[in-house]
Amino acid sequence: MADEIPPPDPSGPEPVGQASAVRPFLLTAGRVADTRGDRAMPVETQVVATAEGLDGLDRLAFERRDIVAVCRLPQSLAEIAARLRLHLNVVRVLAEDLRDEGRLTVHVPDSGVVHDASVLRRVIEGLRAIPDARGVLSDSD
Amino acid sequence: MTATETAAGATAGTSATARPPLPVKMVIAGGFGVGKTTAVGAISEIEPLTTEAAITEVAAGVDDLTHTPQKSTTTVAMDFGCITIDPTLKLYLFGTPGQERFGFMWDDLVEGAVGALVIVDTRRLDDCFAAVDYFEHKGIPFAVAVNAFDGRVEHTLDEVRWALDVSEGVPVVVFDARETGSVRDALLVVLELALARTEG
Repeated sequence: MADEIPPPDPSGPEPVGQASAVRPFLLTAGRVADTRGDRAMPVETQVVATAEGLDGLDRLAFERRDIVAVCRLPQSLAEIAARLRLHLNVVRVLAEDLRDEGRLTVHVPDSGVVHDASVLRRVIEGLRAIPDARGVLSDSD
Repeated sequence: MTATETAAGATAGTSATARPPLPVKMVIAGGFGVGKTTAVGAISEIEPLTTEAAITEVAAGVDDLTHTPQKSTTTVAMDFGCITIDPTLKLYLFGTPGQERFGFMWDDLVEGAVGALVIVDTRRLDDCFAAVDYFEHKGIPFAVAVNAFDGRVEHTLDEVRWALDVSEGVPVVVFDARETGSVRDALLVVLELALARTEG
């Protein structure tokens, strides 16, 4: 894509762990989440770093590096935003960029699969196995 | 722009780690201070996380500086948690903010949810009207859960049902947002409803 994000000033402070004072959409060069067809990626969309992305961490900076690093384990867009204290829509934009560069895979849940009876039954079974209180097994099951 | 992979699709061997789980989303809605975050925290395997999400609101006009009812975007805090069902399936619970004087358009958060739990405080029933209207309009399976603050409920379930004017098919239950088992059972009511619809 033509609108690459310019590399941030390497002498700047790391924003990790604190809300950024930078306006959210400065991070995305003014772009907003892709809303073509009125559908932004759902907040529970899973994101995973690729081997290429993890190998190339040193060549990334700031939010982009943080996003790839935090996705060593699969994370939802919402978890990435919460853990890195980034606006959800900033994460949407940057995750799409990083996917297009091959650094992440992005797995938008298939609505048909999620709403399938077999999936709902597995969620129900899984929930039923949760004890009444943590550490105490339920008598009812 | 490359096509986004679906969870059901192949990852083409590019992933450094195992395939991500299929995320299943449920929404916990209700008025301010009604116990949404408490409920999420009571059953989530992680401490509830907070992120800022943009929502579209239709201003009712009262506080609207322009005095013109129109859509605007507001950033709100959204609390959420998750439950790993198994390595291939993960349930996410999103507490969606709701305020009374606005008709929120939660589509950005709610899109794809299998169901919703609308938490009600019987002392402030009208706080949940917007959420009830929304899920009825969207056709998303939902149940109304009356939060028994201090173990007490001010009104009977029939009174609540009458006041909210929900249809017969909408379950109304009493629960305690602080109790893991109670939150679990309320979520199960919603999931059973969602399952019944697929088998309809």
